Amino acid sequence: MLRVQGLSLAYDETTPVLEEASLAIDAGRFVSLVGPSGSGKSSLLRAVMGLQQPMAGRIDSDVGAREIGMLFQDDALLPWRSAADNVALGLRLRGDSRRHALAQAAEWLARLGLTGLGDRYPRALSGGQRKRVALAQVLALKPRLLLMDEPFASLDAITRARVTQDLLALVESEHMTVLLVTHDLEEALALSDVIYLLSHGPRARISERYDVPIPRPRDVVAARTHPAFAPLLAALWRDLSREVAGDAAAA
Amino acid sequence: MSRAPGRVWLRQLASLVAFLALWEGASRGGLLNPLYIPAPSAVAAALVELFGSGAIWPHLAATFSAAIGGLVLGLVVGTVLGILAALLPFVAELIEPFMILLNAVPRVVLAPLFVIWFGIDLGSKIALAFILVAVLIFFTVFTGIRQVDRRLVERVVTLGGGRGALLREVYLPSLVAWILGQLKVAVGFAFTGAVVGEFVAASRGLGYLLSFAQSTYNAALMLALVLLIVAFVLLIFALAGRLERRLLRWRG
Repeated sequence: MLRVQGLSLAYDETTPVLEEASLAIDAGRFVSLVGPSGSGKSSLLRAVMGLQQPMAGRIDSDVGAREIGMLFQDDALLPWRSAADNVALGLRLRGDSRRHALAQAAEWLARLGLTGLGDRYPRALSGGQRKRVALAQVLALKPRLLLMDEPFASLDAITRARVTQDLLALVESEHMTVLLVTHDLEEALALSDVIYLLSHGPRARISERYDVPIPRPRDVVAARTHPAFAPLLAALWRDLSREVAGDAAAA
Repeated sequence: MSRAPGRVWLRQLASLVAFLALWEGASRGGLLNPLYIPAPSAVAAALVELFGSGAIWPHLAATFSAAIGGLVLGLVVGTVLGILAALLPFVAELIEPFMILLNAVPRVVLAPLFVIWFGIDLGSKIALAFILVAVLIFFTVFTGIRQVDRRLVERVVTLGGGRGALLREVYLPSLVAWILGQLKVAVGFAFTGAVVGEFVAASRGLGYLLSFAQSTYNAALMLALVLLIVAFVLLIFALAGRLERRLLRWRG
């Protein structure tokens, strides 16, 4: 579904932050990118979305730009639009009538547990509710590929677990393909089928690939008690620590 | 806990009445020189006379025409120039130094010059109100557009929006919020421009009446006019506040 080959990315024109990264994502898989700060994880996501031009390499995919949804770290909802109008926005930008878009929006708000909150402005919603609205906004477009950049970093632990579980259920029922960037190794393990570890930047590379053999459908809490979880977490920690140590040595 | 918040206005009214009664008493008792500080009843009588004789209407019409005309022109021109300067770097290079200069000087010093340029009629007053408002709105829009939330721009782009959608969904609502945030200041500026312009040279308007009252040592008329200007500006503030609350409901 998505094939990244020899991809190099830079913030400016000089030193690449990420160098010759190659990865492949099959349809319907949940893939996570983990790695030290500054390893170019977010840049890779932005390049797939088309927000950043690569220095070198290629990104091939059989999904059109309109079939990709992206969820950012900070929930940038339009403050002057109600929750329902925010969710309907993407649909209306694609030519849906306002009435149809709002009907769809109400449905997605309900699926994310926000029934009755459609009239609220973002300011009148909690952090978790805003995140759910942002999620509904993206999912309402029925993306085949969902890109997420630390989407839940700003939420408290309990809210985070609940939003994550609801998201996972939707991803599984809609057979979405997901590429997630996260700092949280346990979250990556609980959610993913495949995890890529990036080395420290600049000139970061993809250093490891892990397959997570936990069956689906999953429960984000129960997944942590699966026998494969602890050994994989230990391996991830060990490899990430080595990368961070390399980071320190380089600094 | 004995003070009910709903009674605040009642206590404020009572203290105002007490203050006016004290003032009136002091005037009648000969403690205040009526030449400088006329009694409230004399000020009220001057107001009644102004409206009763109908003499006030042409002056009110002149001041309001100048203030509203300058306000509208200033809003439009300030907004357009602000947008152009924010989007086209060469326009910014051209007009920003000029605007900074205009912003730095007290713009009412231009009043005598405008009288020479535009005559003693409405034109020079509109010009003064306009220049006060336009510079304020220019900087509001110019800095506002450059500080528009990048995350909102990327959000709309990743949802599939083009330039038109960005303008409609992000830039215009931001613009309305910035301008409305400055609307009350702009209204105050517009009236300042109109009245000061009339004060300098005019044959009509509240500023002209003020100047007339001064030259005839009519303190009661002056106080009545000041009261009138305050009342009208407060009225327009209230209208602007309603507009602001209505259009910026999302701010909660």
